[in-house]
Amino acid sequence: MNKRALMLLLPALILSGIVFLLPFLWLFVTSFRVQGEGSLLMAEGFSAANYARLVSDSYFAEVFFRTMWMSAAATVISLVIALPMARQIAVSAGRAKGLLLALILVPLVSGALLPTLGMLHLLGPLGVINSILKDFGLTTKSVKFLGTVPGVIIGLVQAFLPLMLLPLVNALSRLPKDVEAAAETLGAPTHIVWRRVILPLVAPGIIAGSVLVFCASLTSFVTPQILGQGKIATFGTMAYQQASLVLDWPFASAVAVVMLAILALGLAVGSLALKLLARRPA
Amino acid sequence: MLKKLTTALLACAIGLPAAGAFAADDYSGHTLVVGVWGGDIERLLRENVADPIEEETGASVEFVLGGTGDRMARIYAEKDNPTMDVAFLNMYEAPQALSDGIVSSPDPESGMYKAIWDGMNNGCYAMSLVGLGIAYNKNIVPEAPEWSDMWDPEYSGMIAVAQYPGSEGDGLIGIAARLAGADEHDPDVAFEKLQGLKPIAMTYTNLDEIFAMMDAGEVAMAPMISGYVLSALKEHPDIGFSFPSDPGPVLVRDMLCLVKDSPEPELAKMFAEKALGVENQTDYAEQIFFGPTNSMVELSEEASADVIDTPEEVESLVQLDWPYVIEQRSDWTQRWNKELLEQ
Repeated sequence: MNKRALMLLLPALILSGIVFLLPFLWLFVTSFRVQGEGSLLMAEGFSAANYARLVSDSYFAEVFFRTMWMSAAATVISLVIALPMARQIAVSAGRAKGLLLALILVPLVSGALLPTLGMLHLLGPLGVINSILKDFGLTTKSVKFLGTVPGVIIGLVQAFLPLMLLPLVNALSRLPKDVEAAAETLGAPTHIVWRRVILPLVAPGIIAGSVLVFCASLTSFVTPQILGQGKIATFGTMAYQQASLVLDWPFASAVAVVMLAILALGLAVGSLALKLLARRPA
Repeated sequence: MLKKLTTALLACAIGLPAAGAFAADDYSGHTLVVGVWGGDIERLLRENVADPIEEETGASVEFVLGGTGDRMARIYAEKDNPTMDVAFLNMYEAPQALSDGIVSSPDPESGMYKAIWDGMNNGCYAMSLVGLGIAYNKNIVPEAPEWSDMWDPEYSGMIAVAQYPGSEGDGLIGIAARLAGADEHDPDVAFEKLQGLKPIAMTYTNLDEIFAMMDAGEVAMAPMISGYVLSALKEHPDIGFSFPSDPGPVLVRDMLCLVKDSPEPELAKMFAEKALGVENQTDYAEQIFFGPTNSMVELSEEASADVIDTPEEVESLVQLDWPYVIEQRSDWTQRWNKELLEQ
């Protein structure tokens, strides 16, 4: 790296160091501290007690696996919903494409809280979905979405669908139109065109979108906290409970460090998959 | 000439102390930072305490709104360099904050200390008295319920609880233990009794959330703290509030804490004096049903009926061994999550 490039990168490096690296190091160090006897202040010395507690209690393993599979489910559902949507946006022309892209971006830039509160009214016992179900005589008692795993997964999909859509739209937009036409000319039915032509070519977009949705779901706090109504524990809600309610910051730090380690692992796997894809023969 | 000089010196001699006194009371440019709950509590503190202080001193009063968890986190994190002057905490947090050297010990020689009922300034100054009772849907539960009614199979799946840890959850553990013939020192008995409340309808984090579910008929009963509920009942005619008698409600006390070595100790003391004063405490009782701790507050019979306002009433309430409860918090949080919420 030459001097000029380093100078250009310097502000970003300093900012990342101050707002991410230093707090992360502090978090890491705190995760090896423990609270003093009968005190909320941290005692002197270091210990791996918080990590031992995480490993030894089956409750944390259950929360870990629940968070993982809920994130995986949200990722798969997002992919299934996003593929046809992204395809439609990619083939749209001019203003329509711009408008559709803007609509995707709106929930992404409005933060997690507002859309989740909207979902609360959509999924609630007196919400829109339950009203429709009752109006059509499909149920007489409200269907429980809030405080259930399916309800939280619906919320995660709603919150992070744009993270899947954007890479897919990008990948599909770059797909040469005549490739599809050529496959159809050779007699391939639509599902074969998707399976053997479109999907392999947009695989980098699928991987990028999947990594983004999985990681965002894994670390999500607002959606499981609000839609889970305190009954669906995830890594995010557990860290909040330990930090803000129990006030056990060292243990909350250990939970956060484990969560960040899984996040780094997810990103590494995604990056490796993209590299392998790039190397495959055309 | 000599006469003029003497007059000038006399004027200086009289004027200087006065000017000094004026300077001591002028806090223009100073900001008092107060951490407190939002809503009606903030409104009353703004009207009765902050506005008069701003007028009298020229200082500005900034409220930092949130739960006690946020405040505890902040004052502990800023232990060596505090930026918050006054923090409202729960009765179980105040002694802990005092023993950790985060807040100043209440001054037994001060007027405000003496005005408060004996024995209540535990850790910080006692601010208000409320009790944990039961909010209920009147259409589902026809009569004001007792604690044991929450275990009635008729209401299975219709009981809501507050997020844990918190005063409501600790109170419920204490009540469950007492219904099973023990107390909070026997958590196994308490948690076994709590199993009878499963499945929990919801864990609520705010009043709107729980009242919406109660109005919808999805929740029959929920242990809740009196003040907030009673002041919100007028907007929810189908919801009632019961102070059970066997055992009684659980005493919950809010505390006003002066943060140790804070930037504005004088303004903080002024704030405490007005907040604990008769005017504000009367409004607390009459408008938001928070019982006064100031022994000089005199309430009308009507207002007194809805609040806990005497030491005798306090004695009749269930009082938990809070230092013990706090020690158990971490373990109980896990048991609550696993055994009651089945997470």
